[in-house]
Amino acid sequence: MSPAPSSGFHLGQWWKRNRKSILPPIFGIGGFLIFWQLSSSLGLTKLSGPLSLWTEERTRELLLYPFFDRGGLDKGLFLHTMSSLSRVALGYSLAAVIGIAVGIAVGLNKGLNRAFDPLFQFLRMVAPLAWVPIALVMFQQNQPAAIFVIFITSIWPILINTAEGVRQIPQDYRNVALVLQMSKKRFFTKILIPSTLPYIFTGLRISIGLAWLAIIAAEIVMPGTPGIGFFIWDANQNGYVSDIVLGVIWIGAIGLILDRLMAWLQTRISSSR
Amino acid sequence: MTPLVAVQDVAKDFPLQGGGNYLALKGIDLEIRKGEFISLIGHSGCGKSTLLNMIAGLDLPTGGTVLLEGETVKRPGPDKMVVFQNYSLLPWLSVRENIALAVDEVMPDLPKAERSAVVEEHIAMVGLAHAADKPPLQLSGGMRQRVAIARALAIKPKLLLLDEPFGALDALTRGNLQEKLMQICNEHELTAVMVTHDVDEAVLLSDRIVMLTNGPGSKIGGILEVDIPRPRQRLEVVHHPSYYSLRSEIIYFLNRQKRVKQWQAKPHKVLARHGLEKVNVDLGFIPLAACAPLAVAEAKGFFAKHGLDEVQLVRETSWRGVTDGLLDGTLDAALMPSGMPTWMTAGGHGGDPTPIVTALTLSRNGNGITLASRLAEQGVSSVADYRDYLLRTNRDPHTLGIVHPASMHNLLLRYWLASNAIDPDRDVHLQTLPPAQMLADLKDGSIDGYCVGEPWNLRADREGRGFPIVGDLEIWDGHPGKVLGVREDWALAYPNTHIALTKALLEACRYCADPAHWDELSALLSDRRYLGMKQELIRFGVPDGDRDNPHGTAHTLFFGPGVNRPSRSEHLWILTQLARWSEIPFPRNYVEILERVCSVGVYSTAARELGLDDVSYQRGGIALFDGVPFNADDPIGYLNTLSIHQDFSVAEIPMGVPRALAD
Repeated sequence: MSPAPSSGFHLGQWWKRNRKSILPPIFGIGGFLIFWQLSSSLGLTKLSGPLSLWTEERTRELLLYPFFDRGGLDKGLFLHTMSSLSRVALGYSLAAVIGIAVGIAVGLNKGLNRAFDPLFQFLRMVAPLAWVPIALVMFQQNQPAAIFVIFITSIWPILINTAEGVRQIPQDYRNVALVLQMSKKRFFTKILIPSTLPYIFTGLRISIGLAWLAIIAAEIVMPGTPGIGFFIWDANQNGYVSDIVLGVIWIGAIGLILDRLMAWLQTRISSSR
Repeated sequence: MTPLVAVQDVAKDFPLQGGGNYLALKGIDLEIRKGEFISLIGHSGCGKSTLLNMIAGLDLPTGGTVLLEGETVKRPGPDKMVVFQNYSLLPWLSVRENIALAVDEVMPDLPKAERSAVVEEHIAMVGLAHAADKPPLQLSGGMRQRVAIARALAIKPKLLLLDEPFGALDALTRGNLQEKLMQICNEHELTAVMVTHDVDEAVLLSDRIVMLTNGPGSKIGGILEVDIPRPRQRLEVVHHPSYYSLRSEIIYFLNRQKRVKQWQAKPHKVLARHGLEKVNVDLGFIPLAACAPLAVAEAKGFFAKHGLDEVQLVRETSWRGVTDGLLDGTLDAALMPSGMPTWMTAGGHGGDPTPIVTALTLSRNGNGITLASRLAEQGVSSVADYRDYLLRTNRDPHTLGIVHPASMHNLLLRYWLASNAIDPDRDVHLQTLPPAQMLADLKDGSIDGYCVGEPWNLRADREGRGFPIVGDLEIWDGHPGKVLGVREDWALAYPNTHIALTKALLEACRYCADPAHWDELSALLSDRRYLGMKQELIRFGVPDGDRDNPHGTAHTLFFGPGVNRPSRSEHLWILTQLARWSEIPFPRNYVEILERVCSVGVYSTAARELGLDDVSYQRGGIALFDGVPFNADDPIGYLNTLSIHQDFSVAEIPMGVPRALAD
């Protein structure tokens, strides 16, 4: 055994341990990008290849300067994303608050559950896009309508999971509350919420993905408001294909980050029990 | 003093999914005194947890009431805290927080510092100070259950309810926790009710053990007082004389419940065929050489020959199983000790007098008294030596084993002891034991000897554990051994079946009596269905009767002049002896009892139809070894001439009118 292993030794060890989880994604993604670039260079598809993000000057600028703001709708991608996210934040928070509250009520009350469950099951099958015209009719304005679409799309997993979580509180925990003669309020804070929390977070995680999907749909159909959806719509109107590709990459990346964030929160919650 | 808890005529039924109700418990009466530890034991599904939940208030009875300190229990509360089988700890709270949650909830008026002192005290009590900040999921099952117990005790309940608290734990942890719980209960004088299915746990922890019968409609089948003094140690209680009898009492009860359940699971229709009212007969026996006629009748087809197509031989482990089987109707008929018909008819089993009819004596002789080899090493070789030995060692307990109070073994052993100036109740202690256990007890030295039928005397001799001190030839040659017994109402309902059964067994007796068949009988009985032991240990006697060796060999009589006919004077002698030892009062209406017990008519019919001419034969008088004459015309006068006896009484036994069993 060498008494003082060098840092190179550590790196080698690290590589040995992790190469199985690093190499395949690199090969997979690289292969995909090469295939895409080739089929675009060979003219198999009109879609510009990934290299166009760099070769097209306009797109390269968008890629390199996400923060510029020339007023109006002419903004960097980061700023577009932020306005989209702020809408998501509003609609999603609303969905979380109302979804959890209604979920608990439905989970605790069998009659309520029987009354509304068919309606919930029906509504959650409606695609985000289908809500857009209804929302526009209801609110007459783009901003509240977009928030409503996000809200109505993302509420169902939260609501249904919360209700299930409440129903799944083990009889053991209920018995503890019964034997200790806990008040309603104490039962709620000491047993119901902690016991249901994992279910709620599962719902929240599913919903954040749905909310992000819905915002793009909403913004594409409701032009004239800044946002990543509008950006893609605008690029499409102008025939900037490489801009569209860039926009899609942003959307995917943000969605991934949001999901990871929720996953991290979820593991934090479940590891504390 | 009013009891802490009073369960009064409680019933519970649950609605079934497809409509209707399932009656789980019925007519439960139980009083629990302050400071008592009660166990509820029974098979799964007997409603013991339901009963516990009703005491806890988690479930409400559908009939009757549960009172805690005189007030009806209507809802659960911290005064009757429950320790659940699966701990019921909240996984998002640490050990300390779990206990604190309960304390904060129940004692909100206490200052915060005092509350946390209570919490710490109880964490320390169960020895979990080192794990107080861990969440329950990081603890072992045993530690979690300790947390649950600490949580329950911390809120100072009046009553602690434990639902199979140690059921999910490994044996070692369970043992440690039992001791811990016992110690805590002793120190704090807790009142506790525990549901368990572990017999040893129940005996170790309880003051009283409540045994529940099987559902539906479970009842309390019996309550045992555990008289083992406290504080108890897990490894020491097993040496207490009561331990094994309590244990075997519970195991007998549980086995009995299982037997009844199996019996109920089968359809029980009365099958009438071949001019017989019932051809499906469950015939009980216990594994003894004297069960040979039953085995032969089955193996040689005598039952079927007389039309009884569906006879089931049911092996019981003790005579008590036979008594209970006849009482609850799971047995139609049984091989029984000759004292049992009069004993049950007079109510000796502790219940209502249940008239039993015997139409056939199946065997005579075949019994002996065996003493432990260690007594021979002390120079005991005769009854006089044994008497001296008892005098020499009168500070030690001396126990002799018998198989049943109503068996000839008990009566002959007592008669022999008493005639030799040994009081069977003062000088020695007679203990009822299953035959199979006697040998084990002889080995470990807990009994001096026993009186039992073969093969248990021969086995003790062959294995060098005991030696025969006296044989039945030397006490009463030709005494009745085993008889066929049925309930009177059964006999009246199925008279032709009764005759057919008597015929089949009488024919089997004739077969058994031929010494040429004895090797075959030994081979047959060695089968697992009957005795399940080595063939050479099963002996019925020596051909031509080895009269020179009266107490080394059996001299079983199965058939012959006067052997099989039920004899009223013999049963009268048995009545006098049962009364002499206070098993029953001497019945003033003994003539009526003998008339109803001895079904001479059924025997005569059976014998006549088999072409046997026994009717004209009369057995001689009853002659025991001491020469005291038995006057059948004056049984009470005879009783008064016997020097050693208990304080016997004379009473009228209410018999009622003979009545046939209703279908």
